[in-house]
Amino acid sequence: MSQGSRPRPGTPRPQRRPAQRAGSSRRRVRARRGTSLLRLRVGFVLIAMVVSVFAARLFQLQGIDAQAYVAKARAEGVVTVTLPATRGSITDRNGVALADSVDGLMLVADPTVTAEHASRIATIIARRLHLDYFDLLSRLSKPGTHFQYLARRVPATRARAVVAAIERHGFKGIDTRRDPVRSYPAKDVAANILGFMNAENQAGEGAELMFDRRLAGRDGRATYEVGGGNRIPLGDTSTVQPHSGRNLELTIDRDVQWYTQRVLRQAVQGSRGLSGSAVVMDTHTGELLALADYPTFDANQPALSPKRDLGSRALRDVYEPGSVEKVLTASALIDAGKVTPNTKITVPSELPRGDRVIHDYFVHGKLHLTLTGVIAKSSNIGTVLAASQFSHRRLYDYLRAFGLGRRTGIGVHGETAGVLHDWRDWSQINQDTIAFGQGVAVNAVQMAAAVNAIANGGVYVSPSLVKGRATTSGGEVVGSATSTEHRVVSRRAARLTARMMEAVTNPETGTAGVAGVAGYRVAGKTGTAQRVGSKCHCYNGTFTVSFAGFAPADKPRFLVYVVVQDPKNGGGGGSIGGPAFHKIMSYLLEKYAVPPTGTKAPTPTIEW
Amino acid sequence: MSTQLFGAGSRMPRIAEAAVERARLTVVPRARRRTPRVPFVALLSLLLVGGVAGLLLLNTTMQQTSFTATSLEARATSLEAQQQGLQMDVDSLRDPQRVALQARRMGMVPETTPAFIRLGDGAVLGKALPATGADAIRLNPLPTVKPKNLRSRTIRVIEKNPDVRGAASPDALTATGTKNSQNR
Repeated sequence: MSQGSRPRPGTPRPQRRPAQRAGSSRRRVRARRGTSLLRLRVGFVLIAMVVSVFAARLFQLQGIDAQAYVAKARAEGVVTVTLPATRGSITDRNGVALADSVDGLMLVADPTVTAEHASRIATIIARRLHLDYFDLLSRLSKPGTHFQYLARRVPATRARAVVAAIERHGFKGIDTRRDPVRSYPAKDVAANILGFMNAENQAGEGAELMFDRRLAGRDGRATYEVGGGNRIPLGDTSTVQPHSGRNLELTIDRDVQWYTQRVLRQAVQGSRGLSGSAVVMDTHTGELLALADYPTFDANQPALSPKRDLGSRALRDVYEPGSVEKVLTASALIDAGKVTPNTKITVPSELPRGDRVIHDYFVHGKLHLTLTGVIAKSSNIGTVLAASQFSHRRLYDYLRAFGLGRRTGIGVHGETAGVLHDWRDWSQINQDTIAFGQGVAVNAVQMAAAVNAIANGGVYVSPSLVKGRATTSGGEVVGSATSTEHRVVSRRAARLTARMMEAVTNPETGTAGVAGVAGYRVAGKTGTAQRVGSKCHCYNGTFTVSFAGFAPADKPRFLVYVVVQDPKNGGGGGSIGGPAFHKIMSYLLEKYAVPPTGTKAPTPTIEW
Repeated sequence: MSTQLFGAGSRMPRIAEAAVERARLTVVPRARRRTPRVPFVALLSLLLVGGVAGLLLLNTTMQQTSFTATSLEARATSLEAQQQGLQMDVDSLRDPQRVALQARRMGMVPETTPAFIRLGDGAVLGKALPATGADAIRLNPLPTVKPKNLRSRTIRVIEKNPDVRGAASPDALTATGTKNSQNR
């Protein structure tokens, strides 16, 4: 076995071979061991170096300026969009929208791109959106700018259609941006109450402003990652849901409001008056079915009207009510038991009081009128004589109870309280003039509510413009649900006063025969008051004419009050306010299906 | 080998020899049955491929769903806008002003003496009077009056000498003509 290297014949080879192989590899490993260890160490050091570079980088990224990188990453793929809250709509009492929010867009152009094809683009836009071609042309080709408004507040569908059409023609440079549209479908109807939204989409006036907090809602926000315009699933998202604004329901009936506005406009224009207001009130609930003002404005285009026309005159302007106020005095006198409708009053042709002389609007000699006659003929002197049975305080208390000199709290921005001076400051002449409606100032709604107390059986109901209840931006809770009632005069006094008022619409006895509605018993009262001019703060020879009335007189449903300021056709409350009252009242009776009561008005005793 | 076994057997009682012979234990040869690798590898690769494919599929589906969601959202927005647009159209058609103008065109006037028929006995409540044109109300505002300085002035040019209607007069005529048509 000395030559172990040579295989012996007959010996199985496989037995030795592995041994031999093992022996040689062992030898090889032993030979390499030194260098391999070195290599391992070198390798380890290298790896350690690389890993520490990574670690350093990691620390830099995560530890030192992590926020900056997060922000950078966000900016790259994360999108934050505002989820706009839908502004609540304003509806009438039947749920018909008076103000509605519509998804809208504005069209903007980059004139540096559009200038080339300005005329053709302008043609497309002008045709589709009914805009002025030349105006568009100059905007589309305006030099030195990258941004021009073309159209604001375009309903989204129409705006997208226009952009699509422009792109179809192969033109570029027109883009859209969000621009919510507040639409007032009935245009000028109830605009005086609703107000408007200005170009910056902020509430400008009226209910929009007064209930802005309720209507506006709260915008939401969505943050998510996008890739190629699509949201990346499982990506970082966070959503704050928007809170839509709440709707506001008014007590207004749109159709009645429209009709009242048209009748009022005709009355004001027909008499060449300065302005006018009309109030339609539900007798029992105090809800206003219509509150019209003229001149008014189109709520869609408030900028076209002067600023003074943008509010509600019926609540902001004060004026002296004149003779309509006599019915308050008369009912108070009856309630106090001082007079009856048949009390005989001798009315001289003029009445000296202190240093002043009181006249009637019509020239007459000595008249023998009953109290009914005084109301029917609207005699100042007769009223003064009857009212002189009151102390200052008594009359003042009654008028306060009728709501004079106090805001109605109806929920309209800038409502006036009217003027009713404290009784301690009155002199005799003050009481005398206040008794027939001069020297006291009211707004139209206040006066309507006061007369309504007589229609409502002597119970004053505070008027309301908002159905249910709503909180104004000032934190005041208003609405028909918060309406209050209190008795002013007895039921009997109210009924007797209503009967006296029927004599007014009686063509034979009263000052406003035209106001009556055939087949119905109608109670009313005319008013023609001297008006204080805005310049001299004195009676300047102009007048305020008005008519207040309710029907059916023995079971009232509606109260209508029409006021026209400064008519120039020489008309009075009967000839100007009467026909308007007649039209509005007959419309109401028909629309709300109020049949005549079937009773006959007693023949009034005017004289004795 | 057999000698060794006999040597061990010699220490045992002879009687049990047969039993020992019968119960003789032998080392079980190691089961060298190799588990077939193919199914295992196949299973593993199946799992791997399946997992990857599933993941891919899931991802694709989710992406697809995201596309669909985006496009559906866009569609919902545009449909909502369309609905609002149509609502606006309806509202403008229901505008009382428009209805009234239409009614007037058809010759209608508002009624100002309401009367009712009681269906029970056919009685007429109120005075049934026909509505007349006098009951009509003006639906449109009066046209605004132009300020004095904007009102058109008619300029009459009286030609004293019709014979000298030369080169200058046609110009003058067209000029007045345009003015009139503009001012109308």
